[in-house]
Amino acid sequence: MTRAQSSRVAPYLYVLPLVALLLFVFGYPLVRIFEFSFKMVRGIDGPWIGLRNYELILSQSLFWEAVLHNLQLLLAIPAMVVISLLVSVLLYERIAGWRFYRIIVFVPYVLAIPIIAVVMKRMFQFNGPVNEILRWLSLDFMALDWIGSSDVALWTVIILIVWRESALGIILFLARLLSLDESMIEAAKLEGASWWQRVWYIILPQMRGVIEFYVVVSVITMLAAVFAYVFIIGGGRGGPGTSTVVIEFYIFNALIRTSLPGIASAASVLLFLVSVLLIFPMFRARRRAREEEA
Amino acid sequence: MTKQSKHLGISRRDLILTSAALGASGALRGPFGASAARAEGKTLDMWWWGEQELPGLQAFVDDSVKNYSAATVKTMLQDTAVVISQFQTAAAAGKAPDIQYLWNGIYHMESVWLGYLRALNGLVKDDVITASGPTLLSHFGGNVYRLGWYPLPMIWIYNKDLYDKAGLNADVPPKTWDEFLSACDKLKSKDIAPVGGGIQDGYWGEWYFGHALAQNVDNAGEVIDLFTGERDFRDPKYHEHWVRLEDLKKAGFLNSEMSSTELYPGIDMIVAGKVGAGLSIGARMPADSKQTNGRIGTMVMPTYGKGKLAGMPILDAQGLGISADSKNPEDAAAFLEYLQSPERLKVFHEKTGWIPSNTTFDVSVIDDESVRSMWQNWGLSPNIPYLSNLVPGQFYDQALLPTAQQVVSGKMTGAEAGDLAAKVAKEWRDFNPDMVGNYRKWAADLAG
Repeated sequence: MTRAQSSRVAPYLYVLPLVALLLFVFGYPLVRIFEFSFKMVRGIDGPWIGLRNYELILSQSLFWEAVLHNLQLLLAIPAMVVISLLVSVLLYERIAGWRFYRIIVFVPYVLAIPIIAVVMKRMFQFNGPVNEILRWLSLDFMALDWIGSSDVALWTVIILIVWRESALGIILFLARLLSLDESMIEAAKLEGASWWQRVWYIILPQMRGVIEFYVVVSVITMLAAVFAYVFIIGGGRGGPGTSTVVIEFYIFNALIRTSLPGIASAASVLLFLVSVLLIFPMFRARRRAREEEA
Repeated sequence: MTKQSKHLGISRRDLILTSAALGASGALRGPFGASAARAEGKTLDMWWWGEQELPGLQAFVDDSVKNYSAATVKTMLQDTAVVISQFQTAAAAGKAPDIQYLWNGIYHMESVWLGYLRALNGLVKDDVITASGPTLLSHFGGNVYRLGWYPLPMIWIYNKDLYDKAGLNADVPPKTWDEFLSACDKLKSKDIAPVGGGIQDGYWGEWYFGHALAQNVDNAGEVIDLFTGERDFRDPKYHEHWVRLEDLKKAGFLNSEMSSTELYPGIDMIVAGKVGAGLSIGARMPADSKQTNGRIGTMVMPTYGKGKLAGMPILDAQGLGISADSKNPEDAAAFLEYLQSPERLKVFHEKTGWIPSNTTFDVSVIDDESVRSMWQNWGLSPNIPYLSNLVPGQFYDQALLPTAQQVVSGKMTGAEAGDLAAKVAKEWRDFNPDMVGNYRKWAADLAG
C-alpha cells in the first residue's frame, strides 16, 4: 500500500471502532426487530410466518384506534406553537422579571413526565381540585370526569402535553429571538409599527426555521414519544376503555403484557418507518434554522 | 391470585411476561444478592417474590433458610417486573433455580406447557400438597405443579357503620342480589354511595369479573371455553355480570368518583366510610379491621346466577414450584415440605402477620376475630378458584379491563361488553393459534 493509499484509508480505520459499536448497539436490534416482525416469537425465537403479523395488526381495530389517537395528539401542536410564541415574545419584550419567568416556564420541561402526570392526575380527578374550583365558580357543566371518561381522557392528555412541551418551544423561540438583530425591530418602532406589526412582519419571518424545527420535533414526539403521558393518565392501561391507547402503548402491551414479541416488532417497524420519513423534514428544518441564525 | 401488587399498586400483568431483554439480563444475574444458609453439602437455589406485597416474607424466608439444616438454600428476591420472564429465560437456558415462586393459573401454566416445571405429585407428599391449597388452577394433565404458600381470599367488604346508619343489619350482609339492591336503595336514601371503589387503573374490573362470572358457570373449564371458542361471551349467560354492573350504574349505586379513582384508594373509601361496599382482598383485612375497630364486614358476592360456582367464596394462593432443571428435586421437595411444617407455619404468621396457605394452620393464634372468621369461611370451607387467573393476557388488556371501565362510566352496555369480549377472544385465537390447544386440554382438566 502506498503512502497516499494508506492516508486515504487511515481516517476510516480511526472511526471503524465507533461505527462497529454503533452498528452493534443500534443496527443489530433493528435487524432483529425486522426479523421478529416476520416470526411468531415465543420467548426468544419462533417460526417464520411471513407477513402474518402485519396482517393481524392492520386488521385489528385497536391498532387503528391507537393510530387515530396519535393523530388526535397532533392537534396539540398548533396550540403549543401559539403559546410558545406568545410567551417567548413577551419574555423577549423584557417585561419586569423576565429572567425569573424564563426559569419558571421551563420548569415543566425539567420535571420528569411521571411526576407531573401523577400530580395532574390528582388534580383532574372527578372530585379533585380542578373540578372543585369549577364547581365553586358555579361552572359545574365544565366539571368533567377528566381522567375517568373515555370521551375526555385523551383531551386531558393533550392539555398535559401542551403544558409541558410548550416549555421547550418557549426556550427554543426565546433563544432565537435573543439572537435577532434588534436594529430592525428598533427601526420598525421608530417608524411607528405596532407590537403586532413588529411581531408579524419582522420577528416571525426570521423565526420560520426554528418554528419549523419545533413543529417537526413535536410531530415526532406525538407519534413516538408520548408513552409516559398516556401511561400515567390512562391508569397504566391506556384507559378508560382503550381511549388513550397510542401506538407506543400498543407495542408495549404486545411485548410486555400479551407476550407477543412478533406483533410488537411488526408494529415497531411500522412506527419506525413513519418516524424515518419524518426525520428528513426535521433535518431540513434544522438546516434552515442554522442558516437563518448564521 | 390477584394481579395487583398490594403495596406498589402495580398490576400482576404488568409484572408478568416482561420483555426478553429484561428477562435475559435478569437470568444472567444469577445469584446476585443472594443469601446463603449455613448448611453445607447440598445446595438449592430459590427465586422468590412476595415481600413486595407481604412485608415480613423476607424475614420468614431468611429465618427458614437459617434454620434449615438439610441443605444450603441460596435465595434471591426477584424484581416484580421479571418474576416470570426471568424464570422462563433461565429455564430456556437450562439454568433455572431449583425452587421458583409461581403465581396461579395461566401465570405458571405457560411454564408448564413449555416444560419448565416438574409435577409435584410424587415428589411432595400428597397430604402436604392438599393442605397447602394450591387451588385447582395448578392442575394440568392430572398433575399438580405448585404448592400453596400464602392465600389470597377474594372478598367483598362492607362498612358496618354505614349499614347501621342506613338501618340495615350490619351483622347479616345481603346474600342475594335482590337483598343487595334493597340494601343499596336504603344506603342511597341516606346519601351514602352504596357500592363501588375505584376503577381508573382497571383492576377493579378484573376482580369483579372473577367474582361475577363465577355466578353463571359450573366449573373453571367452562370459562376457558369462552376463549377457545367453544362458548361465546355474546350468550347472555356469559355477559350477565356486565349487565348487572350496568344496572348498578343506571340505578346510581356506584360512587361518583369511581371512574377516576384507582383500586386501592377506592377500597380505602369503603374503610373510611365513604362507600358502603365493594371488592377487596383478604390480605388487607387485618389492617382494615384494625383501622375500623372491626367495623369492616366480609361477604361473598350476593348471588343472582344459577351456576354451580355461584355464592361460593373465592380463594387464590401464591405458590412455589420445582423447576424441570433442578438437579436435586427431592431435596427441593424436602425444603418445600419444611416450609409447610407446623413450626414454620407459626413462624410465617409471626413474621408476616398473615396466614400461611395451609389448612392445618392453627387459627387460634389469629387475634382478630374478623380475620379468623374470614379464614374460616374462605380458607377452611369449600371454596372456588379465582377465575380471572384463566384469562389470556390479550383478553385481559383489550377486553376484561376496558369493558368494566366503560360500563362503570356509562359508555357501554353489558351486552356491548359481551360483544367486545367475544371479538377480542376471537382475536386472541388468531394471534395465538399455538396456545389454543393447550388451553383446550386445560379446560378438560378443569371441567372434571
